[in-house]
Amino acid sequence: MFELFAYGDTGWGDEILRGLAITIQLAIVTLPVGLFLGFLVAFASMSKLRALRMVGFGYTTIMRGLPEILTLFVVYNGVGLLLNMAVRWWNPEADAIDFSPFAAGVVALGMVFGAFAAEVLRGAFNSLDTGQSEAGRAIGMTPTQVFRRIQLPQMWRFALPGLGNLWINMLKDTALVSIIALNDLMRMTKVAVGVTKQPFTFYLVACLIYWAMCVLSELVLARMERRANRGIRRV
Amino acid sequence: MNRPETILKAQDIHKSYGTLEVLKGISLEARKHDVISILGSSGSGKSTFLRCLNFLETPTSGKVTVHGEEVLVKNGKPQNARHIAEIRSRLGMVFQQFNLWTHRTVLENVMEGPIQVKRQTKAEARDKSEALLARVGLEDRMDMYPSQLSGGQQQRVAIARALAMEPDAILFDEPTSALDPELVGEVLKVMKSLAAEGRTMIVVTHEMGFAREVSSEVVFLHNGRIAEQGPPEEMFTNPKTEVFERFIAKVM
Repeated sequence: MFELFAYGDTGWGDEILRGLAITIQLAIVTLPVGLFLGFLVAFASMSKLRALRMVGFGYTTIMRGLPEILTLFVVYNGVGLLLNMAVRWWNPEADAIDFSPFAAGVVALGMVFGAFAAEVLRGAFNSLDTGQSEAGRAIGMTPTQVFRRIQLPQMWRFALPGLGNLWINMLKDTALVSIIALNDLMRMTKVAVGVTKQPFTFYLVACLIYWAMCVLSELVLARMERRANRGIRRV
Repeated sequence: MNRPETILKAQDIHKSYGTLEVLKGISLEARKHDVISILGSSGSGKSTFLRCLNFLETPTSGKVTVHGEEVLVKNGKPQNARHIAEIRSRLGMVFQQFNLWTHRTVLENVMEGPIQVKRQTKAEARDKSEALLARVGLEDRMDMYPSQLSGGQQQRVAIARALAMEPDAILFDEPTSALDPELVGEVLKVMKSLAAEGRTMIVVTHEMGFAREVSSEVVFLHNGRIAEQGPPEEMFTNPKTEVFERFIAKVM
């Protein structure tokens, strides 16, 4: 059985490892995109301006209501089309740009992550003790400093468990990108199954790899939570 | 006689929440070395007034000047965020609930303002913060987190944090009200030593002993107005208004 996973032309080891690398890359690139979007949407939802609040909540409602795979299709087909239309309008002679499956994956997964993260971050922000930022303002910090030095570090404590869930979910959702022909772990596994006709072996290995990534994530998250909770008395 | 310079001046401060008028026109002037105690029963508006002085609450109307600089208000907020931040950096504040930053150690709490706001170097801020913590008797607690300290210790750190900014005046918002009775003394002792070295202080308090022995002036608020004001000895021995007489009869 082990020769099936040999590294090189005879086995599938290298293909699957390359797939794994793409899966990890996709997840790691998506995370900051999704977090950034999450902060934007969370702040929009908490804005004093009604219009901005509606944009924020509207975005969350729409993105949470769509199946991820549909979002992915819409982004992959739609955004590519729009992008090319925009470029042609700017310069009719331009070559068509390729909207790569990887970019589509980052955008689509990031959009979904952002919508859910916005709610987690909004909740975390509302859990903050107002006295903490008052002490910052009273000492002469600007609003930006209060946010960066006090609110942001204290938010993690409330946001990390929720964000950890979203990260693990997203890590697994990267498998959806195999449908738009990105050579991630899932797709390489399917290709291997198609050629070798050994579905059980390969799917089991893929399961173990995804599971290992999740366990590793949980360990890292537990460490981060311990750090975010430093100075907090456990009762 | 040459009177000391005016540090902080509040003129005709009003504050309303909806239709409820909490402050109905309060004026107060703090000169250098003044220790002003603000007394009043709960709901008299004394904490709200104190918070109006550094614009943690924005007065509905009225004027606050710090060293002759007026804080301009627009749309219910200080007009210039940078200007108000700069003014606040010159007014220390000590809160009833201490409000030490929970994610930072005692030393980091004290160093934060000098580094972030006054742009001091880390080394400089550390030296000064260590000295201040030693002064409030907490040199052996510097690397602990606030949650590992007693209330009295936390409040002494909060005082050190305010002092680290080298403020022109310090505002105290009921600094001993959240403390267990046996911890009140250690905080009052620090406050007394500050008064003795000539710090300008405005203190909202229920500690009649402090108001009477330490302050240079007592202000008694009742229903959002100043009901009585004067030197403490005179006020406590010979109250002029019936409301203040009843107040001291109740609390002493």
